[in-house]
Amino acid sequence: MQSVTSMLSINNEAEATAVPAPLVSVRNVQKTYFTRQAPVQAVASASLDVSRGEFVSLLGPSGCGKSTLLMMIAGLEQPTGGSILLGGSEVKKPRRDIGVIFQDATLLPWKSALDNVLFPVRILKLPIEAYRRRALELLNMVGLSGFEHKKPSQLSGGMRQRVSICRALIHDPDILLMDEPFSALDAITRDQMNVALSEILETYKKTVVFVTHSIREAAFLSDRVVVMGGRPSTIALDMKMPFPRPRRFDIEETSEFAMVCRKLRLTIEEAHQGPLPAQTSVQETRAGETRAETFEGGPA
Amino acid sequence: MMSTGLAPTGIGTETGAIIATAANQEENGLANLRGIALPLGLAAIVLLGWQLAVTLGHIPPVILPSPVSITHYIIARYDILLMHAVPTTLESAAAFVLATLLGIALAILITYSRLAREALYPNLVFFQLIPKIALAPLFIIWLGIGSQSRITFAVFIAFFPVVIATTAGFANVDKGMLRLCRSLTASEWQIFTSVRFPAALPHIFSGMKIAVTLAIIGVIIGEFITAQAGLGYLIIFATARADTEISMAAIVVLCVCGLLLYGLVALGESIANRFYSADNS
Repeated sequence: MQSVTSMLSINNEAEATAVPAPLVSVRNVQKTYFTRQAPVQAVASASLDVSRGEFVSLLGPSGCGKSTLLMMIAGLEQPTGGSILLGGSEVKKPRRDIGVIFQDATLLPWKSALDNVLFPVRILKLPIEAYRRRALELLNMVGLSGFEHKKPSQLSGGMRQRVSICRALIHDPDILLMDEPFSALDAITRDQMNVALSEILETYKKTVVFVTHSIREAAFLSDRVVVMGGRPSTIALDMKMPFPRPRRFDIEETSEFAMVCRKLRLTIEEAHQGPLPAQTSVQETRAGETRAETFEGGPA
Repeated sequence: MMSTGLAPTGIGTETGAIIATAANQEENGLANLRGIALPLGLAAIVLLGWQLAVTLGHIPPVILPSPVSITHYIIARYDILLMHAVPTTLESAAAFVLATLLGIALAILITYSRLAREALYPNLVFFQLIPKIALAPLFIIWLGIGSQSRITFAVFIAFFPVVIATTAGFANVDKGMLRLCRSLTASEWQIFTSVRFPAALPHIFSGMKIAVTLAIIGVIIGEFITAQAGLGYLIIFATARADTEISMAAIVVLCVCGLLLYGLVALGESIANRFYSADNS
């Protein structure tokens, strides 16, 4: 236990980066909801920098304020204190340089996969024809060629979420904000989606802020994992993931990966003063065994 | 079909769906046949029973004419019936269109204005509790004996289901979808045209289907009270002269006109479905 902590301590605090200004800068952000009874503080204080091209996960149990923080970065919620800068300017309302992916795919049920991907193009009044090729490319990239003209009811949950990822990428935003995008999917599909997402990001380099309550998912995908916890919540840990890219699932079998996950879990438990429900830890350790080799719908 | 190199999740659901569709189509064919044959069969039995009861029971035509004699009358005097059917149908159609437009407009107002929702909506519901037919004679006093009073009265009784159904449809929109639109900086107008309105279409059409039948009822009641033409006028006129055969013939024609208007709404719905259905067409 002590050895684990000492081995990882070098990564504990994100080192002050020498690179220029970060793309996203969250400064002492607070969020208090004013309800009828009493004000509820969702985020006590959070500060966080995300560099261009970085993949940062916000990790923590349900209700720890991580989704609230993400929605504030998206401009969908207003912080009650502090500020959020994106590319140097303050985020006050939703912006077109942000792409958001939600837990549900939220596709228009009467539109085909292709038209759903093109939905932001219509909303942003960009030339549809020019973006059609990009949409087809994106769908092909996520293994959905042949499904362009299917409607959401004819696609599986994983396929629908892949369409929503394409939709978030279509207008080429600087940053992708993902709010537990795979938590509604079964464990096998979820593993496939993790691989698919890292492949997509190798092709379309994006800055990502990713909210999850899966320790393994956060560790596998991220450059940095930010653990949120406590009530009201603060940032308990900001830790670099020491795994080289491109990543394949075999990194999960290394002892280094196991130790990183352990450190993350211990931090979450500490922040909440008590062990997590057993179910969560079992799922985290066992999901790796059930991973599938190819991902659904993709070219064999 | 899909290539076989796909992982289990994808291929499972896809093949399942395709097989299910094929089986459904065969079943649908049978179901359609039953759907047509059963109601027609029952109607034929009832008509036959009616005919037999009238002939064997020697019921005088003034009480109940037989289906055969009604049919004879319709064929012989189709010109008179048609002459009266035209104004009734046109007035019903006009009232229905106005009721639909008014209903949707009020639903938009209720959806987008909190003041309207809080002040207007409870009153609309309360208003609905008035037995509106009792107000029909007042419309004659207010608007005269022309078609405008019949159309206004028909709009008055037909618009309510459109308001209720459309408001429910607008409120029924997926909250996640609205959040996505906001994240894309969509304007309220864009959200309305691309998400809210299409999502509400099934609700709107169900409201319209009720409205079209109410519009016809409204026009007929108006014709009962005052008119120089129309099927309602013909029914009142014939009944006063104890000419039950004409009344019955007029009612049959009225059913045909109602069916025609309802059919047009259903046609509109199936055209809308081609663009706004969740199933592949």
